[in-house]
Amino acid sequence: MPDFDWGVIWYAAPYMLQGAVVTLEISICALIVGTVVGIVCGLISVSDMAIPKAVVRAYVYFVRGTPALVQIFLVYFALPRFGLEFSPFWSAVIALAFNSGGFISEIVRAGLQSIEAGQTEAALSIGMTNRQSILFILLPQSLRRITPPLTNEVITLVKSSSLLSVISITELTRSAQVIIAERFTPFELYAELAVYYLVIISVLAWFSEFVEKKLA
Amino acid sequence: MTAATPLLAIHGLSKVFGDIPVVDRVDLTVTQGEIVMIIGPSGAGKSTLLRCVNRIEIPTTGEIVVDGTNMAGEKRNGHLVPDKPAATARKRRHIGMVFQRFNLFAHLSALDNVAIGPRRVLGMKLADARALAAEQLNRVRMSEHSAKRPAQLSGGQQQRVAIARAMAMKPVLMLFDEPTSALDPELVGEVLEVIRALAQDGMTMLVVTHEMQFAREVGTRILLMDSGRVLEDATPATFFTHPTHPRSREFLRRIHVPVPGC
Repeated sequence: MPDFDWGVIWYAAPYMLQGAVVTLEISICALIVGTVVGIVCGLISVSDMAIPKAVVRAYVYFVRGTPALVQIFLVYFALPRFGLEFSPFWSAVIALAFNSGGFISEIVRAGLQSIEAGQTEAALSIGMTNRQSILFILLPQSLRRITPPLTNEVITLVKSSSLLSVISITELTRSAQVIIAERFTPFELYAELAVYYLVIISVLAWFSEFVEKKLA
Repeated sequence: MTAATPLLAIHGLSKVFGDIPVVDRVDLTVTQGEIVMIIGPSGAGKSTLLRCVNRIEIPTTGEIVVDGTNMAGEKRNGHLVPDKPAATARKRRHIGMVFQRFNLFAHLSALDNVAIGPRRVLGMKLADARALAAEQLNRVRMSEHSAKRPAQLSGGQQQRVAIARAMAMKPVLMLFDEPTSALDPELVGEVLEVIRALAQDGMTMLVVTHEMQFAREVGTRILLMDSGRVLEDATPATFFTHPTHPRSREFLRRIHVPVPGC
């Protein structure tokens, strides 16, 4: 192995831990907002409400069709033009929630539509409305099925948060870059950065498996 | 209720898929307490007819009136004002349906499968809904399995819970769509027994079935359908001994029911 500077690893660790905390804070906030947005939009996609459905379709179309980086810039620079001023932290949360909400909406829609038609027919036959059948019959049954793709989306969300370094948020990636600029040791620090992400995402994956078993 | 006010009146009902009339200009009047057995070859439109009655399937043309209520909408000045979805849901409440594949709610216990209708549709308190559900499960002799999920039950047990689920809504009419066709032969009897008990209690029902012995014993009326049409409408005694339509004779011969004079 070429000269590996272990000293800088220990030097950077506490700074990067602070960055990791910011990454987690933003990711968790974005995940909560994005999940709520995604579930609501997913339910709308399988409902019989024509106009909200069209709005959701347009939203998903936009989120899927544009890079997360562009979405982050748009939220950060465009929203203030409409008089919506947010701190960098909340701009970041909004941007990531906007992005993940679109994808979670599709995950929820696919999960709901994967439930056999007979379940809906049985729900209608006892007098449930379409809305009740979605809420009380389809949604609870699809939760377990959507856990694995939802985990993927959470992982993507955490990784996408590294893009936030471009709007000067000192999350995990930027905290590493700051020290690289100071110490000129990109190899050591990017390696350390990778380990940080691996640890965070391993914990998430483990938690998801736990949830999946709980829902079984 | 007298014969003059039928419980179910179907006029000129057709259901067209693509350009195939699966149900073709069917008229049917059923009075309270009648047990109508609908038989016929597969693809005859029996299930579709049943599914049109509670509007799980929307008829292409025709009128269906259940207990004085037009299932499609309200007549105003001779014009039909179509129902909003919520009104259709309300009208379905008191028409029970039992499916070939049971369709129990997979995430709920047997008890909650039966309780969820009274709870969510009728707005009963959870405890009251569960008490009612327990009573209905007892009627189909499923009390000891009330905590089990559908996946832990045999087909016959699932179907009995499905019947209890429909009965918990206090239906005026029950629709059975081949209730024993998905069952192992040894489980058919327990389900037919439950249906027979409902018949003895005076429940009005339409039963699509391939169980000829059962149709003959329990039915008060036999309809033979083929190609979307009702070809024969007779009492079991007449149908099984003196069928008038040639297709009835052929059908009975094919399912090995001896027809006199053939």
